[in-house]
Amino acid sequence: MFSGDLINGIILGAVYGLMTMGLSLIFGVLKVVNVGHGAFIMVGAFVAYWMFTLFGLSPLISAILALAVGIVLGFIFYYLVMKRLLDAPELSTLLATFAIGIFLSEVAKAIWGPDFRGYSWNVGKIDLGITTLPMAKIYALISSIVIAIALYLWFKKTRAGTALRGVVEDKEGARVCGINVEGYYALSFAIGIGLTVMSGVFITLFIPVGINPYMGEIYTIKAFVIAVLGGLASPWGAFFGGFVFGLVENGSYAILGLIPGVEPFSLTQCLAFVILLLLLLLKPEGLLGKK
Amino acid sequence: MNQGKYYPFAVVIAIFGLLFVVGRGFQGMWEPIALIMFYVAVGEAFNIFMGFTGYVNFGYVVFMGLGAYGMGLVLSSAMLKGLGIWILIPGFAFAGLMAGLLAIGVGAIALRLRGAYFAIATIGVNEGVKYFIEGAKIWGGSEGIIVSKQMKMLFGHHLSSQITTFWADFMVFGIALLAAFLTLEFLHSRIGYGLIALREDEDAAQVMGVHTTKYKNISFIVSSILAALIGATAWCLKTTYVFPDDVFALSYTVDAIVIVMLGGAGTLLGPIVGGLIYGILKYWLGVLLPGFQLLILAPLIIVIIIVFPEGIVGVIKKRAKGKRLEKFVV
Repeated sequence: MFSGDLINGIILGAVYGLMTMGLSLIFGVLKVVNVGHGAFIMVGAFVAYWMFTLFGLSPLISAILALAVGIVLGFIFYYLVMKRLLDAPELSTLLATFAIGIFLSEVAKAIWGPDFRGYSWNVGKIDLGITTLPMAKIYALISSIVIAIALYLWFKKTRAGTALRGVVEDKEGARVCGINVEGYYALSFAIGIGLTVMSGVFITLFIPVGINPYMGEIYTIKAFVIAVLGGLASPWGAFFGGFVFGLVENGSYAILGLIPGVEPFSLTQCLAFVILLLLLLLKPEGLLGKK
Repeated sequence: MNQGKYYPFAVVIAIFGLLFVVGRGFQGMWEPIALIMFYVAVGEAFNIFMGFTGYVNFGYVVFMGLGAYGMGLVLSSAMLKGLGIWILIPGFAFAGLMAGLLAIGVGAIALRLRGAYFAIATIGVNEGVKYFIEGAKIWGGSEGIIVSKQMKMLFGHHLSSQITTFWADFMVFGIALLAAFLTLEFLHSRIGYGLIALREDEDAAQVMGVHTTKYKNISFIVSSILAALIGATAWCLKTTYVFPDDVFALSYTVDAIVIVMLGGAGTLLGPIVGGLIYGILKYWLGVLLPGFQLLILAPLIIVIIIVFPEGIVGVIKKRAKGKRLEKFVV
């Protein structure tokens, strides 16, 4: 039974990792903490929900659409809001991204109402010997890893990726070398949001009836925990942080379920916050980070 | 420098007095005035931390919620039955104690770090506490606490209905006044100067010998305890119940942010002006477009941040420099 939890944890962890890469990318490049992160995951969840219930579209195709939606949203919010706040105090960007998150949730509520929704994508099961898994989760695992590798290659091998790394290293130096720094800010914000919205599609495969305008809040916290685990500014750190967190979450759910008289689901949600505080106390530079 | 220190406080008392007279003097005005005063108090309490330090506490509502729980737990405890109306004193004390302890804990961990990390830590504190209460099934779990029966037993029918319709709101006036007084004291003390220095440039302040961490903690704890007192009276005593989904609703943090930013962060009169405008605005929006308040308020936050980050009182303060008005606008 426990090994089944571990496998589930690894799969969920891959999706968590993807979910957090966008947050880390945006922080790494723009030094902006996107407090409205979870709301973008919610947008992705609703994209998947709508595409599936209206057109019967597979979540794997919705994921590409969600990426496009996210990139467009990212550009819109960058040019409308973030661009004007680049030199403002940190407080301004924190409040602005917080407000963007609230705004998105309220728009979603106006469209879909406050009820919990869900859909089930039935593509068979696979028997691994120790446990049976729905194929949908296997697809989510494979997609997350493929996307993470694609992003890594883009970052390391292409001209744009190299320029972006230059911007992260030294903004002024990059500018002197003729790199359009503002353009790369916009691009990384858009890609970061795109990844986040896309991850929302995969999240829906794990929550059969959990799609709701306010579902994002808990994912904001989880993404923060994972991002801090991975060192906050590193998308790759975030991806591995996702695995760690997925394992811890599923393992602790199994353990907390053994305690009589408690509600293990809520306590697991609370655990994310406790880990976050412990991490900030002991190792704010991340598990893999150096002092 | 300290001459005329309390001039702005006269403005505060005048505004509060006027609101009180309007609320009591006109039929049906007490409820809207009480709502406005609630927002003013929330704004003043929130401002003591965010306004002075430039750090934002996204988990602010958790302290109001804990305050409501603190009062609720004392009211329903069998040990203190004999106290009658005096039970409110341990009630408020326990509300403040719970919030204070949580603030010490969160502050000790998160305030050693800079703004972004602090914000990250606070965004989880609210959910963490809520899920803990629901998950561990303490204090009634997700069903919450209902104190209407206990209040009737403790205070009698007549007095307990008077508390819910008048005295609970009146105590909000008192807390708002206390918060305003503390803000003024902060503004004219070593702590206030230190905090404003760290808001402008934390490294420089530290190098100049300002005890940044200590001051940040003090203002965080003070702000949190005031929030708890508001929660204890405006929620527990007024509504006679404490439900986790109500008292940990994130929208109250949004309220506090809008009020402080609109009025002017770090000023004494800002949260009052912000609370007045916001209370009226929200009241009207609630009548005209019920359910859509947040949809309108969220873009409003962004517009304020981009267009006039100093807020209304911040702008007036700049204009009033060198004029006689200057003494009154702080």
